[in-house]
Amino acid sequence: MAKKGVLAGGIAAAVIIAIIAAYAAQPASETMNLDMARTHGTVSTAMGSPILGDPDAPITIVEFGDYQCHQCFNWFHNTKPAITQDYIETGKANLVFVDFAMLGRDSPIAAQATYCAEEQGAYWEYHDLLYASQQGIDDGWANTERLQAFAFSLGLDMELFDSCLDSGKYQKRVQNNIAEARKQGAQGTPTFVIVGPNGAEQKIGGAQPYSVFKSVIDSMI
Amino acid sequence: MTSTVKLVFSNTKYIVLAGIIFVGLLFPLLIISEYIFLEPYVVGHIPSGTEFGFSLIVILCALAALVLPMNIFRIKMFRGSKKKISGGVFASFVGAAAGACSCGPIGLAVISTFGSVGGVATSFLTNYEIPIRIAAIGLLAITYYTTVRSLKVECKLNN
Repeated sequence: MAKKGVLAGGIAAAVIIAIIAAYAAQPASETMNLDMARTHGTVSTAMGSPILGDPDAPITIVEFGDYQCHQCFNWFHNTKPAITQDYIETGKANLVFVDFAMLGRDSPIAAQATYCAEEQGAYWEYHDLLYASQQGIDDGWANTERLQAFAFSLGLDMELFDSCLDSGKYQKRVQNNIAEARKQGAQGTPTFVIVGPNGAEQKIGGAQPYSVFKSVIDSMI
Repeated sequence: MTSTVKLVFSNTKYIVLAGIIFVGLLFPLLIISEYIFLEPYVVGHIPSGTEFGFSLIVILCALAALVLPMNIFRIKMFRGSKKKISGGVFASFVGAAAGACSCGPIGLAVISTFGSVGGVATSFLTNYEIPIRIAAIGLLAITYYTTVRSLKVECKLNN
């Protein structure tokens, strides 16, 4: 009887440790968005990405982007690293990505794949991998097979990921994001809306340099 | 070759015309291609990895500013054929269109208006931006060469 109690206690402890370890393994800055009423200023980000950085940061950068857009690629590689270092990692700003997937037939599927990765706590890793791997529009780099290969390379549960992608369950979410981008008057990708602590907003169109973001953000803090 | 260029541009009207063509082509192209931004501040920016594309735009505009006034001179002076100038205009237009239709407002407008056909066209112009610009520069170079030759014959210049 005592042996059975010890065994049950051991199993219970192992389960608790496994749950804590799984939770701790998720990046601290990434939480799945469960707030369906989430807004930043006038922008509804409810269907967008999880928040990168401190959710309570005074500034929010909303990026409307497409995974096949080469200007988004330029911004990702040339401007975003400095913003991440100076504003996101310091808790002064956070970032939300809202899909404006309009450039090609693979764009919406790539956007859906990021939400399948989000289910496994890997939205931003997958997002970063897509921008690191970007090639020409609809030339096959973001077709279903490649999207699955990206998930595999991140060590995601492929059964879960494949069934998620095949089901098209995030099709509507991406469409809603596109509609939100249009509603906000985005005329291309990337388009940014910087939302300040008092709700003040500044739109920035295109892959503008770090100096522009710095000026806008610093004027709001 | 230099004598024909000197002959055309000895008239200040053609220098002004070349300047207008260069500036009038360069600035809109740099804005459309997102090398210059007007809002919220006027700022110029050449992202790393796009220097070659930037150089091609400058070369394209410079060649267009050289070739088009020379052809206008030829047509005005000798009532020559308009074939060569149409080649120059076509090359300038194609070179300008390449890359201009990608992620920006023009691309979005084309995709919104023409749907998937517009999408295919913009992706083609974006994916082959550099080769298209090089081809346009090549076409302008050929137009320049044939214009110089024709001016030499018509003006009976020795070199």
